[in-house]
Amino acid sequence: MATPGGPRQGNFPPNYNSNALANNMENLQINQSNQQQSGNFGGSAYRPPNATPFGQQPPRFSGSRPGPPPPGVFSGGQAPPSGPAQTTFSPSLVSARSTEPPAVTQPAFFTSRPPPPGASPSSIGGPATSAPSGFGPLPGPFPSSPLTSRPAFPPHMVTSGPASNGSPSFTPVPSQDGPRLPPAISSMPRPLVGPPQPPTMLSSGPSSQTLQMRPSFGARPSGASSAIGQPAPPFSAPPQSMIPPSGSLPFSAPQGMLQSSGSPYGMQTWPPQPQQVAPPPLVSGHMQQPQMFGMPPGPPPLPNQSMALNQTAQSKINPNQIPRLTSSSAVILHETRQGNQANPPPPATSDYIVKDTGNCSPRYMRCTINQIPCTVDLLSTSAMQLALLVQPLALPHPSEEAIQVVDFGENGPVRCSRCKGYINPFMKFIDQGKRFICNFCGFTDETPRDYHCNLGPDGRRRDADERPELCRGTVDFVASKEYMVRDPMPAVFFFLIDVSMNAIQTGATAAACSAINQVIADLPEGPRTMVGIATFDSTIHFYNLKRALQQPLMLIVPDVQDVYTPLHSDVVVPLSECRQHLEILLESLPTMFQNNRTADSAFGAAIKAAFLAMKSTGGKLLVFQSVLPSIGIGSLSTREAEGRTNVSAGEKQAHKLLQPADKSLKTMAIEFAEYQVSVDLFITTQTYVDITSLSVFPRTTGGQVYYYYPFSALSDPAKLYNDLRWNVTRPQGFEAVMRVRCSQGIQVQEYSGNFCKRIPTDVDLPAIDCDKAIMVTLKHDDKLQEGSECAFQSALLYTSIYGQRRIRVSTLSLPRTSILSNLFRSADMDAQFSCILKQAANEIPSAPLTQVRDQATNVCVNILYSYRKFCSTVSSAGQLILPEALKLLPLYILALLKSSGLRSDGRIDDKSFWINYVSPLPTPLVIPLVYPRMIAIHDLDEKESDDSIIPTPIPLSSENITVEGVYLLENGEECLIYAGDSVQPNVIQKLFGISAVAEISNQFVMQQQDNPLSKKVNAIINEIRGQRCSYLRLRLCRKGDPSGMAFFSYMVEDKIGSMPSYVEYLIHIHRQIQNKMP
Amino acid sequence: MDFSELEAIEGLRWSWHSWPVSKSEVASLVVPLSVMCTPLMPFSELPILPYEPLNCSQCAAVLNPYSRVDYVSRIWTCAFCYRKNPFPKSYAHIHENNIPAELFPTYSTVEYHFSKGGSGPGLGLCSSSGPVLGRRENGQLGLRSNSSSFSSAAPYSGSGLGSERVGSVVGPAFVFVVDACTSDEELGALKRELLHVISLLPENVSVGLVVFDSMVRVYDLGFADCLKVVVFHGEREVSSEKVKLFLGLHHMTRTLGKLSAAQSRGFLLPISECEFNFTTAIEDLHSSTEVRPGHRPVRSMGVAISVAVGLLEGLLINTGSRVMVFTSGPATVGPGIIVNSDFCDAIRTHRDLNNGYASYYRKSTKFYKKMSQRLSDSSIILDLFACSLDQVGAAELKIPVESSGGFMMLGESFDSEQFRKCLRHLFTHDDDGNLKMFFDATIELVTTNDVKICGALGPCVSMRRKNNSVNDKEIGEGGTYIWKLGTLTSKTCIVFLFEVANEQNVQPSSAFFLQFITRYRYSNMGLRKRVTTAARRWVGKNSPEIASGFDQEAAASVMAKLAIHRTENSFAEDVIRWLDKMLIRFSAKFGDYVPEDPSTFRLSTNFSLYPQFMYYLRRSQFIDVFNSTPDETAYFRLMLNREGVVNSLIMVQPTLFQYSFDGPPIPVILDICSISPDVILLFDSFFYVVIHYGSKIAQWRKLRYDRDPSHESFKKLLEAPELDAEQLVTERIPVPKLVKCDQHSSQARFLLAKLNPSVTQKSEYTDGTDIIFTDDVSLQVFIEHLQALAVQG
Repeated sequence: MATPGGPRQGNFPPNYNSNALANNMENLQINQSNQQQSGNFGGSAYRPPNATPFGQQPPRFSGSRPGPPPPGVFSGGQAPPSGPAQTTFSPSLVSARSTEPPAVTQPAFFTSRPPPPGASPSSIGGPATSAPSGFGPLPGPFPSSPLTSRPAFPPHMVTSGPASNGSPSFTPVPSQDGPRLPPAISSMPRPLVGPPQPPTMLSSGPSSQTLQMRPSFGARPSGASSAIGQPAPPFSAPPQSMIPPSGSLPFSAPQGMLQSSGSPYGMQTWPPQPQQVAPPPLVSGHMQQPQMFGMPPGPPPLPNQSMALNQTAQSKINPNQIPRLTSSSAVILHETRQGNQANPPPPATSDYIVKDTGNCSPRYMRCTINQIPCTVDLLSTSAMQLALLVQPLALPHPSEEAIQVVDFGENGPVRCSRCKGYINPFMKFIDQGKRFICNFCGFTDETPRDYHCNLGPDGRRRDADERPELCRGTVDFVASKEYMVRDPMPAVFFFLIDVSMNAIQTGATAAACSAINQVIADLPEGPRTMVGIATFDSTIHFYNLKRALQQPLMLIVPDVQDVYTPLHSDVVVPLSECRQHLEILLESLPTMFQNNRTADSAFGAAIKAAFLAMKSTGGKLLVFQSVLPSIGIGSLSTREAEGRTNVSAGEKQAHKLLQPADKSLKTMAIEFAEYQVSVDLFITTQTYVDITSLSVFPRTTGGQVYYYYPFSALSDPAKLYNDLRWNVTRPQGFEAVMRVRCSQGIQVQEYSGNFCKRIPTDVDLPAIDCDKAIMVTLKHDDKLQEGSECAFQSALLYTSIYGQRRIRVSTLSLPRTSILSNLFRSADMDAQFSCILKQAANEIPSAPLTQVRDQATNVCVNILYSYRKFCSTVSSAGQLILPEALKLLPLYILALLKSSGLRSDGRIDDKSFWINYVSPLPTPLVIPLVYPRMIAIHDLDEKESDDSIIPTPIPLSSENITVEGVYLLENGEECLIYAGDSVQPNVIQKLFGISAVAEISNQFVMQQQDNPLSKKVNAIINEIRGQRCSYLRLRLCRKGDPSGMAFFSYMVEDKIGSMPSYVEYLIHIHRQIQNKMP
Repeated sequence: MDFSELEAIEGLRWSWHSWPVSKSEVASLVVPLSVMCTPLMPFSELPILPYEPLNCSQCAAVLNPYSRVDYVSRIWTCAFCYRKNPFPKSYAHIHENNIPAELFPTYSTVEYHFSKGGSGPGLGLCSSSGPVLGRRENGQLGLRSNSSSFSSAAPYSGSGLGSERVGSVVGPAFVFVVDACTSDEELGALKRELLHVISLLPENVSVGLVVFDSMVRVYDLGFADCLKVVVFHGEREVSSEKVKLFLGLHHMTRTLGKLSAAQSRGFLLPISECEFNFTTAIEDLHSSTEVRPGHRPVRSMGVAISVAVGLLEGLLINTGSRVMVFTSGPATVGPGIIVNSDFCDAIRTHRDLNNGYASYYRKSTKFYKKMSQRLSDSSIILDLFACSLDQVGAAELKIPVESSGGFMMLGESFDSEQFRKCLRHLFTHDDDGNLKMFFDATIELVTTNDVKICGALGPCVSMRRKNNSVNDKEIGEGGTYIWKLGTLTSKTCIVFLFEVANEQNVQPSSAFFLQFITRYRYSNMGLRKRVTTAARRWVGKNSPEIASGFDQEAAASVMAKLAIHRTENSFAEDVIRWLDKMLIRFSAKFGDYVPEDPSTFRLSTNFSLYPQFMYYLRRSQFIDVFNSTPDETAYFRLMLNREGVVNSLIMVQPTLFQYSFDGPPIPVILDICSISPDVILLFDSFFYVVIHYGSKIAQWRKLRYDRDPSHESFKKLLEAPELDAEQLVTERIPVPKLVKCDQHSSQARFLLAKLNPSVTQKSEYTDGTDIIFTDDVSLQVFIEHLQALAVQG
């Protein structure tokens, strides 16, 4: 974009910036170099192929589409299809495409695209049908296209299938399946994942696995496997046929064993899989076309998974066959709307590229259910939660089209005069375009004269496709004067560093200073970037960095009971004027205080004083704190010790420790928010610091808590630097206000996340960045009329780091339904679970843990019970039936119960940090948090053929961990490396440069060794870091010491202490459901 | 003997040299019994005695020439209380032909220098008895700060902790309080001057730096890594305790030995250790730019001063220190506020003060009054250097400055010669490289029994120590026989006022004695005592000696000081009325006249000038505040209050010299008729020196006749007053403002304002002289009225 401010988030050139952003996360020390770059190249190289499927698809759909497909579509589509199709072919595509990226972006392709991959469960009928239909008209491409589009899939599906279920049915609908849950799980690295690697999923031949899996589950493995195993035939046939039969099949699944019914929608009855294969053909193409556009009207076959669980049979259950995440390394292409129909989003953890065709990208807004129940009763019957997860500034995929900026000039964007909803593609223009009907409140507004445009024959405005606000789900409006109370604020960064004795001696101060010193280089140059710095122990030290001075001037504020800021100007100065001073100062700070014997920390006073310094502008306050605030305003006591005694007295009060100790901090935090000051806390400590109380600031002001415990001067500075760097360089907005609007009948119940709320309808965000999500729970206030759609619009008014005032508007329009089964089919696993997780986290401070845990299980039971009761036709009491879309719910709930937040052991600070971490957690990181990704890294060498950087994750069960193995486990926040007892010495040598595990220091720093294995591991780590936008701290875990325990506490499928294993939990759930059944 | 000659020997001026015995007669004298004492007056022959004085064990009077000495039994009898005291061992060699200097009859004044070690046996005892010292009975010179400073200083050095520098410093301490709101050019000049002063400081001097604008910053001069300051909020009054707490000095207690780490902070360091840092800090000062349009800069001078004082208190420095305030404007925030920062609010005027409109005045005065107590307790001196075109609040600050003996300068620019000279003068060195500064001084007065002490006027503070020679009726700083002076100069003059006892059991023509014991600390921290003993005679009723012993100059000076003392609590008109009343009573008493006949009124020569002094006094700027700001008035009064007879008379009645071709310069009367077109007048009112060129002279000068070799004499005529003026200006501190003006020019007002308006616009007969436009009465009219009233009886 030519905007002076430089790149805004939405404007990133597809590849360039986001990679840069991703790179930000890279460790300095670790193999940034070659591998990373290759990764980038890989990304760009691979992406085109990913896109190709789209290109190819359009033609297929054209025939089936209701509206006239854009002419271009065909031609465009056809060229690429490239008969070759075979799996082998993909590589060639890759190369070819890479040179012609533009092809990918041609709008024609996208627009014309049918509702393909995204169709997923809800549209189950749709996708399946669509594919065939497409084939019909274009026989030529047909065979090839499916293959090309998903060369990788067949194998994937197979592999995934068994694990996750759904497999066979999916395979046929390759492109569409991609997004679905099973594959979603492994959020594979965007670039590398590359579609086509058959072996990716399973190291050993896929076929064999499938074989194993199936049989174990009881049914007829061989049959299934064979069906799956052969890519070509199943594809064409199964997809179409699947639907009707599958639905019936699963339910009827006779066997008492676990069953997964694989319907085309992804449901699987385990045993009957072979049957699934058979039925699909029957369905064939007939049903497809009607279904394509609307939701399948008829009683949809529900995807689900049923397991027969009874105690006796328990022993027979093969843990490998219960529902698990399957990862797909393929990039999914997702159009938000297809055929004027909302397209259910791909799983949040999957790698997908969104084409905004009217609805906003699921990155920005995701609904827990992709169809809106018409009545409260329907919703409550389903026991599901209706909520939106809004992440307004989410990072787009590098290949996605940038968000368009719309400037309405002085008048500002067109809005509904009654509800103030922003113009969006779902506003209906009538009366030759003279008026428009608001899709939220239903009011009819006059079209502003200069915005008038005639309508075309299809009832749309003629200019709809040229105007982003009329054809895109997400746009940025340029805010006019009336959206500004004052001039957009400059980007102010104020660093506040603890220099008390403890901080100095643990090296925390030095780490913070060095991190800041490196980071200031990354701050945007120019007069709008202001910085300030202060340190504190029992007093507060400001620094006057004005250039006129010969050297920095330290200004000590001694009054920590009633603080003030020493200068009205000069404490916060433009970066360009003080860069040199700042650098000198940061270098000398640690030595300046090296003899500091002050143990006290006046955190509250310091933060207040810094606030006073920034009050006039607002901005980001980055606090580096190392000890418990012990003096001055807001000082705290070591409640943890007191708490422990309380715990022994009775656990009832334990959660009180998770409530802030002092109300004054909250009051202060609200004042901060009022003046647009956002606080980020970097807690580098080795002791208890009462995060609960301190975190009030970040939580209220849109900031974030970073926790380095126990802080190690050796291994943590790199993370500190990277965290800080990402914090200041990531796309973000200041002085923001957000509101979500809903169509009539639905209203916002509550917002939750890190923000300050002063009036019920809006949330105030002194700062918001790409990693922050806000959960918006919804409620009915009326019955909805069926037929039309229900729209949600989040509007975020913010100031970019370059001082532009913008309004990010994301609109999501979803169909309404009055059929319960639709709700289950369109349920969004990620969003649902995010919702459960966040609500649980909110509960923890105010309720006893057991109650929170029971509540989580109850949510799961209630949903499954509802499904069992109303949607499943199976009468066998012995079966546990899981809706396909939510089949992993029990697993995640179990994982949640075992997460550090809900465990009854653990440090208060850890728990508190967990709660804080969860609060603004974006959806894609929710599942990894409770169900981390674990991969084996000792045998990477042997998997030479694998193109994707990150190998297939392993289920979190200790059965999968061998004594010879080295495993890497990451949850988006930290990264554990576990080395077994008998790892081959050469592996250890290669990985760590040391001969034995025992010799590795606990505070180790992963160094890249000069061998392929080490390089690979480092590449993996970097890749993961890029994906997570977080510099995961590496911890080495060894059997037999606490670190090993920590590692095994992540094995959520195991029985841990009193917590049940996965199988046991399923049985528990099942029993609860049965108890509920009348 | 001429009174001034006597002064040169004794350092004393007596309003009456012979005192009547009876109380009623003393009252009828009108002008009170008083002595103007210049304690440190430089003498040509001053015996320096390198040992401690010998005190009377009863009245603590020091051995002096009036003591009767019995050389045989080695006993001396105190002249004041007649107590017989044995000589100590050190006087073993005393002999009729070998008498110590203090017994020489010609040495009415001697000075004792004793080194810092405090060898005297009494000192150790002193420390234990704490601040309540000074009971005469134990024979020690019970000077509180004397003993306490010793007790704190000596143990520190003695206990082996000397290496760690402590609160007790080797030399005097200076805290520079600098106003950062000063404009850049002004600040530049100030910085230059400060750096100059710093570079000349002797090594034993400790310095501190406090800078204020809207905040107050105390520099940590011991921190090497960068400039480090502690910031105090400019709006919040900070108690002494808080200052200590915030500066980390609160660990310091008077208990010896334990030194906390906090003391290592270098808020006050010997210049030898921090010169670099100090210089850097000064150089790094920049004008504070945060001034809102339409507003005065935000100055928190009150807090700055109390922080500086708190710093010195916290470091237990009570051996002499100065807080030197350099400001360019009034305090606009916090305690001690003078005026709002909004320009809409004007700075208080006399009218505001009289009408009670000056809302901040009372509060701020109270604040500074409290401060002066703290200053006195810790022997801290407050100096004010104000360079501003507007008022800076000197009126409010006058109290602490005056009571601590501090220096006050009101100038217009830091870039002026006046400021430079004043500052440099303060820091002049003696031949040994020590600063010529005297700290932590006390004056003790020992009198003969029947003499009662009423009080003192001048830059001193009563220490509220009473004995039987202290009178119940107090005038000025009374109720004590001992006064404290933060500092004094060789010119500082204190007026002591006396009364005679009720019961008379003295014989006329017997002698009475006064002994002034001035104890002070020199800048090298050496303790010194100067002892002046004077004797005068009692006289009987209506003795002619009374009249002949009248020193009208001293009397006028005393009356002037009494008058300004009165102005503190009364309106100017009341003071004038009081002056008039006193003058009439005085004239009636000492005039020679036929009752009811004014024309017969005569005054003898040693009374004749007195009415004239009173005339000029009552229309001087000290009493008549019209045309002066409260700041100026405060300054004038402060100066008058501390100067000796000569200077205070110049202030009251300026001198006027005429330079003409007719001959050498001659003094002329201070009258409008002295102005003439063909003469040059040199006018000296202490604060101003005016060279006034008659219109003809001015014209000639304009025509540059002085450059013409043929008019050499004219050139010399022009030079003569300039040289003389130069002389006046250089010798005087504070440096007077030198004004050169032509007749009828606007600047001539400085002269005209002081001249006797014998010819005004109302005069029928002008005789071609200039006239003064005024309604004031002329001296002639004044005298006429005086005569009329005096003879009424």
